[in-house]
Amino acid sequence: MKPETELKRSAEPIWWALFSAGGVCFAVFIPAAIVFLAMLLPLGVVELTYTQAQSWYFSIWGLMFTGAVVVLPLFHAGHRFRHGLHDLKVQQHTLVKVLCYGFASALSLLCLGLWCIGYFN
Amino acid sequence: MSYKPVLTRTWWLKHRAFKAYMLREATVLPLLFFLLTLCCGIYALWQGPSQWQAWQITMKHPAVLAINSLALVASLYHAWTFFQLFPRVMPIRLGSKTLPAQVLIAGQWAGLVAVFVLFTWLFRGSL
Amino acid sequence: MINVKVARYLPEQSAAPFVQEFKVPYDASTSVLDALNYIKEELDPSLSFRWSCRMAICGSCGVMANGIPKLGCKVFLRDYEQGLLLEPLAHLPVERDLIVDMDAFLKHLEAVKPYLINNETTAVKSATTHQQTPAQLGKYKQFANCINCGLCYSACPQFGLNPEFLGPAAITLAHRYNLDSRDQGKAARMPLLNTAEGPWACTFVGFCSDVCPQQVDPAAAVNQSKVESAKDMLIQLFKGKL
Ligand code: SF4
Ligand code: FES
Repeated sequence: MKPETELKRSAEPIWWALFSAGGVCFAVFIPAAIVFLAMLLPLGVVELTYTQAQSWYFSIWGLMFTGAVVVLPLFHAGHRFRHGLHDLKVQQHTLVKVLCYGFASALSLLCLGLWCIGYFN
Repeated sequence: MSYKPVLTRTWWLKHRAFKAYMLREATVLPLLFFLLTLCCGIYALWQGPSQWQAWQITMKHPAVLAINSLALVASLYHAWTFFQLFPRVMPIRLGSKTLPAQVLIAGQWAGLVAVFVLFTWLFRGSL
Repeated sequence: MINVKVARYLPEQSAAPFVQEFKVPYDASTSVLDALNYIKEELDPSLSFRWSCRMAICGSCGVMANGIPKLGCKVFLRDYEQGLLLEPLAHLPVERDLIVDMDAFLKHLEAVKPYLINNETTAVKSATTHQQTPAQLGKYKQFANCINCGLCYSACPQFGLNPEFLGPAAITLAHRYNLDSRDQGKAARMPLLNTAEGPWACTFVGFCSDVCPQQVDPAAAVNQSKVESAKDMLIQLFKGKL
């Protein structure tokens, strides 16, 4: 046990909050998103034309969609992956942290950037 | 002199509860795949109609369809575990009583169904 | 008769632990602790293990029964007809046979300041303590049932992977006092709970709650503590102290 004066606050609450919010999205939004966008759409049961997809996605709803179906689930996945590696005794903690959250951030920024370009055009 | 056995990398194979735990943690693997395909879709949407068409064709590939179906199963397993944990992490107290966990769990499943209804309504034109 | 295998460790005889097999007679009421006492009295007096109350309240008879932490006096041979392997509690150093060194566990319990902290004077105290409404008691009652058996530490892979992790029972105890209306020591307990070795090392495996003989649900307390630590961070942030 460390002496009381040397106790350091962990940054984990931030990652955990993102993880939890992402966990809710993964549970509540992702199942329907997979069924419609990755199953019914490719199987031809439903249709989504380019113009329709564009007008939907590059609206304010698209931003919410990106947050709930892409960004938060990405951070959820990154967090679980990071702790999963610790469980498997891959314990280069700092490196793993940078890679996991870095990946989630990069992909999030990409999607948000694309949305911005489309929305403001 | 005392001894202390060290946990091996495969500790989680030793008990059912640990396997179920690792399975829960592994649900993010197919999720990641789905998220990647979705990001490709967004990228294609930004690029233009022909790329959008190409993305839809890629999504038809049996392997892609299979992994995304796996992601669906994973998301439902995750939901099943997550909904049960929620009332234990954030119990809701009304006066001296705690709201029964069953109510919170049912409420969360209702949320999941509501999103399906929302998507059905969005795609109502082509159904 | 049931075959009971016991993990033995006799440091003065051999440096390595070994497994010894015993045949133990049983009936419907023979507990695992009874079996150990039978072995010690009838078969091998050199066997060492801890026990006291034999009624699941002192918390001293914890062992791994076929790999799962159990109180020896609370489980019965009749449920192990396929055979039983008894080992010392996991994740703690083994001193001898089934005796583990509980020091790390006790230090963690102690570190969370598990007692009422308030700045009332003794006079005020004697006039007002012990007054609590059922609703106030209800907030922490479940978490106050811990008997310090340590089974949850043996069930916790995160404690196994990182012995610095405060662990289920200690965090539950901290949470129990934080929830107590008579206590004002939360500010003194939070710094430890805010560290990486506090609740943040937990990934909600949940097995600790499965094995707890008192239905304390330590996993719930640990994860509620995460919420408290997150709140604490936000509050400090708004106060500009971060
Ligand atoms: S929380 Fe339960 S398992 Fe853990 S020490 Fe207390 S009584 Fe034992
Ligand atoms: S002997 Fe006291 S709990 Fe088992």
